[in-house]
Amino acid sequence: MIEVIVNGKRTTIASGLNIKEAITALEYKGEGFALALNGTFVAISTYETTIVRENDSIEILAPVQGG
Amino acid sequence: MTKFIETQPDTWEIGGKTLNSRLLIGSALYPSPANMENAIKISGAQIVTVSLRRQAAGDTTSKGGHQFWDIIKSMGIEVLPNTAGSHSAKEAITTAQMAREVFGTNWVKLEVIGDQYNLQPDPFETVKAAEILIKEGFEVFPYTTDDLVVAKRLAEVGCRIIMPWGSMIGSGKGLMNPDNLVAIRKQFPELKLIIDAGIGKPSHATQAMELGYDGVLLNSAIALAQDPVKMADAFRVAVEAGRLGYEAGVMKEREFASPSTPTVGTPFWHQFED
Repeated sequence: MIEVIVNGKRTTIASGLNIKEAITALEYKGEGFALALNGTFVAISTYETTIVRENDSIEILAPVQGG
Repeated sequence: MTKFIETQPDTWEIGGKTLNSRLLIGSALYPSPANMENAIKISGAQIVTVSLRRQAAGDTTSKGGHQFWDIIKSMGIEVLPNTAGSHSAKEAITTAQMAREVFGTNWVKLEVIGDQYNLQPDPFETVKAAEILIKEGFEVFPYTTDDLVVAKRLAEVGCRIIMPWGSMIGSGKGLMNPDNLVAIRKQFPELKLIIDAGIGKPSHATQAMELGYDGVLLNSAIALAQDPVKMADAFRVAVEAGRLGYEAGVMKEREFASPSTPTVGTPFWHQFED
């Protein structure tokens, strides 16, 4: 297991997961959100080739009202 | 409303789209999603601002997110995602890239906040982010102050749209520095200029349009009104009035009184008095 930070909170996931596997493990379902890893945008097309590492910071954002 | 002069529909172009409405409207702070939907419809706005926030695991309804987004999608209007909450060019760029994927648009309302108290944009980081985003193919709508030199820098890095503030976000104080706004308008006749932030009442929007601005973007003034839907209608009319006034050509101010009633034939006047 490794420790990661998801939307500002520490949690643990299995080591060696790619982004697609990690978001499934973190119980994010469906579409309609975007993801950044350590402050850098990760496109959906690269989820499976991007590996999550110890202490990585993941931001998962979804649509909300805005001004 | 009765129109006494049949004019061509007021269409204009921004970011590659041809629109009828010059009112851009925010989607936040409404009493309910239904109220938001009705207000947007009544306003006639064809561009609505949206945002991104953290989503909780397994939660598809946090902060009204998905219900809100379903409503907006069903309305068939243009969405303008913002980078609200960003405090650096890097944060804003990452947010813009995420928004492009989620909302399916290359438009971005670029907000990089430089001061948490008055939410004044950081001009240095805004220009830096704008330059990079334009190179990445974004149509950048930068939120900036009414500083002419910052507007010049934004134009130099390729912004075709500039959005100076009227006053602080959510303040409702109207146009603090109309002379500065006029200077920007005169300096950049070829750019699309939108007043963004600080509009509190319909007359503020009319004033902005009378200055020759291409549009106004507002949120709180409608969403925080006692009756947001009625206020949305008021802003629709106010923006149209201001634009018509600008096109009609406002009279020049004078430093002296000048009677409008003819002086020839004034009664009770005698040439031989005194």
